[in-house]
Amino acid sequence: MLSALLLIPFAGALGLLCWPGDLATERIRRAALALLGLQLLWSLRVLLAFDPSEAGMQLQESFAWVDSIGLDYRLGVDGLAMPLVLVNTALTLVSGICTRDLSQRPRLYFALLLGISGAVNGAFLSENLLLFFLFYELELIPLWLLISIWGGANRGYAATKFLIFTAVSGVLILGAFLGLSLFTGQADFSITPVTSAQLGMGTQLVLLGALLIGFAIKIPLVPFHTWLPDAHTEASTPVSVLLAGVLLKLGTYGLLRFCLGLFPEAWALLSPWLAGWAAVSVLYGSLAAIAQRDMKRMVAYSSVGHMGYILLAAAAATPVSMLGAVFQMVSHGLISALLFLLVGVVYRKTRTRDLEVLRGLLNPERGLPFTGTLMILGVMASAGMPGMAGFISEFLVFRGSLAAFPLATLLCMVGSGLTAVYFLLLVNRAFFGRLAVTPPGDPVADARLEVRLPGVALRETLPAMALATGVIALGLVPLGLGRVSEQTTTAMAQLPAVVAGLQAGGLLP
Amino acid sequence: MADTLPLSIQLSWLIPLYGFAGMVLSVPWAAGWVKRNGPRPAAYLNLLVTLLSVIHGTVVLRAVLALGPQHLDIGWFAAADLDLRIGFDLSLTNLAALELVTVMSLVGQVFALGYLDKEWSLARFYGLVGFFEGAMAGVVLSSNLFMSYFLLEMLTLSTYLLVGFWYAQPLVVTAARDAFLTKRVGDVLLLMSVVALSAWAGSLEFNDLYAWSANNSLPGLGATLIGLGLIAGPMGKCAQFPMHLWLDEAMEGPNPASILRNSVVVTCGAVVLLKVMPLLRISPVAIDVLLVVGTISAVGGALVSIAQVDLKRACSYSTTSYLGLVFVAIALQQPFIALLLLFSHAVAKAVLFMSVGSIIATTNCQDLTELGGLAPRMPATTTAFLAGAAGLTGLLPLGCFWSFGLMVEGLTPRAPFFAAVVLLTNGLSALNLTRVYRQVFLGSAHPKTRRAPEVNWLMALPMVSVSVLVLLTPLVMARIDRVPGIGAFSATTTLMLLASGAAGVLAGSLLPLAAFGSRSLPQPVRTLQDLLAFDFYTDRIYRATIVAFVAGMARITDGFDQLVVNGLVNRIADVSMGSAQSLKLGVSGRLQTYVFTMAVAIVLLVGSLAWLGG
Amino acid sequence: MTAAPRSPKPPLTYNGGMPGRDDLVETLLAGRTLLADTPDHLLQVVDVLESYGEVLDAYSINLIYQAEKQFLNPFPVFRFLDGDHSPAKIWRHLIHDRINFEYAEYCQKAMLWHGTGGLDAYLDSEAFAVNCAAIVARKTGRDPLLAALNPLFPQFLAELIRSAATTHALGQFWRVMSDLFIDLARAERDGQVNSIPTLVTFLKDGLVAAAGAPITYAVEIGGDRFWVLPPEAGLSFLADVAVPYVEAVFLRGTPFLGTVSFNAQAQQISPDLAKFTYGALYADPLPTMGSGIPPSLLMQDMYRHLPERLRQWYLGVTRGEGDMRVKICMSFQKAMFCVTNAAIAGTFPHPLSGTDPAQREANRTYAAAWAERLCVARTDCLDDPG
Repeated sequence: MLSALLLIPFAGALGLLCWPGDLATERIRRAALALLGLQLLWSLRVLLAFDPSEAGMQLQESFAWVDSIGLDYRLGVDGLAMPLVLVNTALTLVSGICTRDLSQRPRLYFALLLGISGAVNGAFLSENLLLFFLFYELELIPLWLLISIWGGANRGYAATKFLIFTAVSGVLILGAFLGLSLFTGQADFSITPVTSAQLGMGTQLVLLGALLIGFAIKIPLVPFHTWLPDAHTEASTPVSVLLAGVLLKLGTYGLLRFCLGLFPEAWALLSPWLAGWAAVSVLYGSLAAIAQRDMKRMVAYSSVGHMGYILLAAAAATPVSMLGAVFQMVSHGLISALLFLLVGVVYRKTRTRDLEVLRGLLNPERGLPFTGTLMILGVMASAGMPGMAGFISEFLVFRGSLAAFPLATLLCMVGSGLTAVYFLLLVNRAFFGRLAVTPPGDPVADARLEVRLPGVALRETLPAMALATGVIALGLVPLGLGRVSEQTTTAMAQLPAVVAGLQAGGLLP
Repeated sequence: MADTLPLSIQLSWLIPLYGFAGMVLSVPWAAGWVKRNGPRPAAYLNLLVTLLSVIHGTVVLRAVLALGPQHLDIGWFAAADLDLRIGFDLSLTNLAALELVTVMSLVGQVFALGYLDKEWSLARFYGLVGFFEGAMAGVVLSSNLFMSYFLLEMLTLSTYLLVGFWYAQPLVVTAARDAFLTKRVGDVLLLMSVVALSAWAGSLEFNDLYAWSANNSLPGLGATLIGLGLIAGPMGKCAQFPMHLWLDEAMEGPNPASILRNSVVVTCGAVVLLKVMPLLRISPVAIDVLLVVGTISAVGGALVSIAQVDLKRACSYSTTSYLGLVFVAIALQQPFIALLLLFSHAVAKAVLFMSVGSIIATTNCQDLTELGGLAPRMPATTTAFLAGAAGLTGLLPLGCFWSFGLMVEGLTPRAPFFAAVVLLTNGLSALNLTRVYRQVFLGSAHPKTRRAPEVNWLMALPMVSVSVLVLLTPLVMARIDRVPGIGAFSATTTLMLLASGAAGVLAGSLLPLAAFGSRSLPQPVRTLQDLLAFDFYTDRIYRATIVAFVAGMARITDGFDQLVVNGLVNRIADVSMGSAQSLKLGVSGRLQTYVFTMAVAIVLLVGSLAWLGG
Repeated sequence: MTAAPRSPKPPLTYNGGMPGRDDLVETLLAGRTLLADTPDHLLQVVDVLESYGEVLDAYSINLIYQAEKQFLNPFPVFRFLDGDHSPAKIWRHLIHDRINFEYAEYCQKAMLWHGTGGLDAYLDSEAFAVNCAAIVARKTGRDPLLAALNPLFPQFLAELIRSAATTHALGQFWRVMSDLFIDLARAERDGQVNSIPTLVTFLKDGLVAAAGAPITYAVEIGGDRFWVLPPEAGLSFLADVAVPYVEAVFLRGTPFLGTVSFNAQAQQISPDLAKFTYGALYADPLPTMGSGIPPSLLMQDMYRHLPERLRQWYLGVTRGEGDMRVKICMSFQKAMFCVTNAAIAGTFPHPLSGTDPAQREANRTYAAAWAERLCVARTDCLDDPG
């Protein structure tokens, strides 16, 4: 069942690439969308088959692959992976839909899109460390190509920066995995926390450190974040949607699944530092966002800030905070994708994202009023306004972490307040006032400048509307997602205690 | 929830939903999907659902009068040890507040139909008012802190959107932003307390929290901070010093929204404060802060309002002032007096703001120095202003007279200082209202008031109706407060109250009006006048402190990010690849680099691990 | 979306030229039109004026109905129904499938408030006060509410009667204008009007022909007729209503809540009404249909009565249907410049063809006064083809 989530995109990508003869761009796009839609439907089928009352992996599939190095093909899904798979399948479809006027090589583009989607599914579903790593790396090259071929003017620099950062991330992660196997002397790469307990704390800390930095680059956390704003500004809208909505989640997923999951003891030891790191990351991202004048960079820095909440939640590792982390991953996926989509619409219509230039886009007839309305909704959701997905996620994170790390949690809440600051700056600058798309000059002349922006067709806003609906639905009825993930996150939160208990009971060295 | 309860009570969770439904119903017109026809159906639909909520509220009120207070509880989200619920506390107090909210919303919406008669975005306005009303109805009925916070934050959002209604107007751009951010500061502080209470006290139901606070074991600092956070939210909502700035800015929004904001929104904030009040016993500091803030707001607000030249602002600062008194009453454990004061203030302030709206609609002007001579020509407007002013002043036996009387009587033996604050505020606000009345309604007509026919019936009718309501407030109050009765204060108190009111009116009548417009006053007076007219330069202080700090931090972070973090990355790239230019090499070059880096790193890592592990 | 180069895109902004003061004086004195003479302009102006004519027809009928039949009615709930209380009409009003008469009232209020010209002077006269007193005496005898209010608020009813008088006068003015604009459309179809100059001349002739038409107003109370604006007041179309209307609506206007702050401390609005520049010739068309922009109502009304030819033309420009009402507003502004142009041409103190230096100087002074006001108006629309 789960393999189909890999089969559909990978086979589709291959099919697209190898299809004989010339294909019109529109036909390729339709075929890709059909495949992505099928993938989404299939993931919903998996959701139906998913049993939320179980904490562990379910719907498992496995066969031995390269037995000698411990690389098994083992897939499974639990309450942590299930929502992320859904986010991935949904957002890839969205980014497929919002791909318009491709200038070149449509076949390659959509094949890469499908490839990324499949690789991300694989990474979320892998039950084997090496298999995870394989998919983790597999997603990297297509994304790099997507940025470097279809990106903006400075795409070369941004794409290479992205590549090198994530390559280092991959190296560290692989190193940690190999190290774990090396030191425990087992060529078993399944995910079992007990394994690490056999190691000395020093080794554990080093391995965990490598993993942490590896995933921190991907998430990204300060100070490993500099690739992100550049990648976003140069990437096209659909790629930004994927990058922010899905690919960053690989990092946080790794944080929860591998850092916490493989090294619970060392994690518990490091957690106060991690909480502090989270607070720094949140405040740093928020403050840096305030200073941006490119809308896309601002949204990118907001990601840096908002991913910090997940580190905080993981550091606290209480049942509520872990659930909050899952919520935050899903809601950040939806909200940041929504924001990037809308910024993309603004850019396509006004040819600029400069906040010093754009004004009055809410203008009902000549501006982008509907985009503006959705933008207000999106930034409010991001600022944690109740009734939308951001609020319940942040509330769970803060509520779960406060008792463990009061100071760091309060600082993160300040960061949440700062989100309102920069996003209000964005909305009030770009959307309020008299319509203008040129740098301010003489006030009298500006007031007479006629602005003729092309209109936004309904189909261009449909993906954003769908995401906005999701954001509100999750904000008003969070119970569904809560049910899916609660058992798993609760079990994960108890890992450190369980391992400590086992040790205390003499069951482990 | 027993099945035997009347349906109206079982369905009382619908009450906030009426307002929200109104918002949803407005969408087809607000979004422009209805292109040929105008937006009025959205207004009518909103009026209809508001009427429904008034009727439903009244039926529930009658049922509760017969059956006693009820509680309604629905689970919303539960995980691990967290249980977030939607709870309604159908007590008499809450339902009375609900009636106030829904009736004022209804009246305000009828008024808006007249005031905004030439407004094309009517549907958006009504949708936002529906949102506003739904949130307020929920806040007053809420039985738990989580839901209160949830809805207060929605109020913040709808305030932002309502203030930003005329989004193309340059001052609105900053006003809406500042209104949102000021309130948001209060909200974030409140959220901190909500989260902390959720973590430490477990349940967020007010009743459970009261029980918890009776024997809490929190360290002093934590309890104090929680207390301060709890009062920060209502302080923001009630526009108390130093978070009162937003109310001034919010005056850039449409007048019908100002009516609601100055009467019922601030009341909602105070109702939340009343609900958290028993909790504050964990934090004596918070109570002291409440007293200080309330006193400064009461007197400061009254003084600032006297120096305003803008009609709307002259009235809105007085809201800060009255809510300051409410804060004092709450802090001094006089919840009942606080409620009476809230009620009489809300009704009187609403009618005062309606009068203000009608003046603006007729004269296209809100500059006091350009107004004059309206009284002989505008009966409804004049009556409304007089009724509102009388209801707000402790001079004639209307709402505030009785509330102030009870408050002064209660405070004189325990806290004479605060009794004096009440009297001083009364005198100052009487002064302010008198001078505004003189300036706007008496004297000769100015160019902008030369032709001033009375406003249309959609504005006049609500004004007159609420004026009548103001005259009836003592009766309503007497019904609410049977024991000891609203007249339970001594002759001395009465005399003091009358004296303060009369002194204010006298001073207001004698004050030279030209002083407000002229700049030729002696220097010290002028400095004082400017200080008050510009609201103690609060906005400048903010700009020089918090705003400058955040902006500075943002610049520093950004600079650090570009120069140090990013610079370091580029430097490393320089060193490792010969030059930063190699970052821009061809595709194959990069792939090779990638594989090479990876190999080297793996070797290094495994090597170091072997060394460590060995 | 990619950044790869594509076919060159049209510019996003357009900046019209603005003639200076001296240019305007020369244009006016030479008898040239303000609006550039292009076929597109002719199409826009004729058709937009035709739809305006239809809307004004409805406005005029309703204002006259209000002034006559809803006179001093404290609760004029059905004042927009023109006396037709059939369920179908009420339903159409409930779903707002109707002309926005609020805009007509808005213009009436602006005219009353600015209070310039002969009509306003008459409203302050002794004769008016006498008529007023008679009406008040009769009205208070029949209406206890008014009887109770009148002694307390002595100017209340007089002010409402002034308002009703302006309402009726504006109704009469718009009657003439509506017919003129409909005639213009007919003349254009007949080929009589085929350029902007002939159009302006047509409008000028129409205005001059109506100039002396008397403006009168009487109300019926309890079977008796009372004069509010009697014939002996000598109020005439052009001098006493048209000129104050142009002053109040075209030139001064009232500040829009959606674009100007009323905050007294911000001092964005001049205390001197004569310095107001918020009228139709000054307004920014871009925010049309936004919040706080009253002319949106008029644009919607014209949108509902747009001639098919102009509709088709709009569909091919900028966003087509999407921003049609902004385009109507822009065309409307051009049309209003033509009307103003006709009014100026019709009110020169002396014939432009004269050679007497004193007369020429008087004409020049007159043109200069107009140019002074027009040079800061939205003249940038005059050479913009779109």
